[in-house]
Amino acid sequence: MLDLLPQWMRDGIGDDVAFWIGYFTNGKHLAWYASVQFTLFAGLFGACVALALGLLAAAARNGGPWPVRFVAAGYINIVRGVPDVLFFLFFPLAFEQAVEWLWATQVCTPESIAANPNPWPPCIEANWRLSTVEYLIMASVSLGIVYGAFTANVISGALLAVPRGQLEAARAFGMSRMQVLWRVHVRQMWIYALPGLSNVWMLLVKATALLSLLQILDFVTLAQRLGAANYSAIAGLVHEDWRWRYYLVLLIFYILVTFVSEKAFAALNRRVRRGMPILDGNAA
Amino acid sequence: MKKLILAAATLLAFTGVAEAQVRLGSEGAYPPYNYIDESGNLGGFDIDVGNEICERAGLECEWVVNDWDTIIPNLLAGNYDAIIAGMSITEERQQTIDFSQDYFPSDPSTYVALSGHSIDFDTLSGLRIGAQGATIQAAYLEQNLAADNTILTYTTPDQAIADLQAGNIDLILADKSYLAETVAGSGGALTLAGPDVEIGGGVGIGMRKTDAELRGHFDTALTAMKEDGTLDELIALYFPEREGGPFYTAE
Repeated sequence: MLDLLPQWMRDGIGDDVAFWIGYFTNGKHLAWYASVQFTLFAGLFGACVALALGLLAAAARNGGPWPVRFVAAGYINIVRGVPDVLFFLFFPLAFEQAVEWLWATQVCTPESIAANPNPWPPCIEANWRLSTVEYLIMASVSLGIVYGAFTANVISGALLAVPRGQLEAARAFGMSRMQVLWRVHVRQMWIYALPGLSNVWMLLVKATALLSLLQILDFVTLAQRLGAANYSAIAGLVHEDWRWRYYLVLLIFYILVTFVSEKAFAALNRRVRRGMPILDGNAA
Repeated sequence: MKKLILAAATLLAFTGVAEAQVRLGSEGAYPPYNYIDESGNLGGFDIDVGNEICERAGLECEWVVNDWDTIIPNLLAGNYDAIIAGMSITEERQQTIDFSQDYFPSDPSTYVALSGHSIDFDTLSGLRIGAQGATIQAAYLEQNLAADNTILTYTTPDQAIADLQAGNIDLILADKSYLAETVAGSGGALTLAGPDVEIGGGVGIGMRKTDAELRGHFDTALTAMKEDGTLDELIALYFPEREGGPFYTAE
């Protein structure tokens, strides 16, 4: 990287500065910076899944026929009680094996099953090799399922908080049920839901640090590996145990994400309040 | 249900394209065997050996990084086809997986301590001893020294070293080839201590028991690499502290 600079500039900076520029532009570090994409993808995609599931489950719990209500309430209450780490370990593995089991019913012959000494998959043809991208998608979906339950709880509360007078007025104007739901109920629900949703989002962002559990070389794992003492010159960047320095960078990274998120939610909040009456708690 | 099966079928068809490839699993945290190199990719002795084998056998190989503690389960689950991660050939492991012939000679284990700490190796009691989890050293410690000492296991070897330097443990038991390079680079902070402990055989490539054909490819290539001296050259390059070579070339 230093070679790109003109000679006078290279002479101008001291050896110390040159060393640190070289240190931080080392390929190991470049790979570390690049791994932020996994964290961001898991956070954003996970949030989309969580929001979709949350809306569905909340609508189902507040409105559907009783079996639908029952399933939605079960999802919201059970998944909220399961540690996210557990779900993170459970869901991708269970999903992978379920797909392999389904696939095995199609492609495995009795001979191929007999020829396979391994307990799983049933036959070699039914094996599904997971790539990093597939792991990443499954990790995001796991996050979405866990935090979808929290989202559903927030949204279902917010749906109930919309003043009934607004809905009755909309009906009185002759809107259909669906029109009332989408144009008035959900539209006004965001005002009540956003503070809770920003909480859920922050929890979800923090949970992205679990990606390493699924063999993804993410920001956190690589920081741990880079910070660990290395005395083997051939492996590059020889230094003693510097983990706390790298963990400090992670800390600052997550604080920055929090900061940006707060700004974004403040902007969203202003947007959903446009054209709405000022809510002072007596509106209901 | 039909749709689900269809979806699964497309998914599998998608991944099935790469079927001709061989995927090699390694840890990336055990220098000089394997580590993440300056360009952010896997590098090290294991990786050079693996790539040389693939070239000689005409296989298209791809590397997968996997943590040590799940490296055998994920081989069996089919996430990759072979483990090249400085893994010693042991009877216990041979019950679940197959090994190629060894590509690194039988390596004694030894202890490492902080310089200036004297430890009584005749009694070896009341100490806190660390090792990487799921290794032959961890198994040895549990069997032989757990009664009088506290045994701690770590996910990666460098975590054990860090804990030793933080003063949380007194000793680490690990492969001598790994420790020798680490101690040599530690600038005198660490020192090899105590007697060598003979556990495990040579280092081999782990494969599923079903992959006899792959094992044949690997063994053929390894035999050739031993005969023409390539393997000894790689050992000399990555393990300058290791004495007693050449190991495989007939003199």
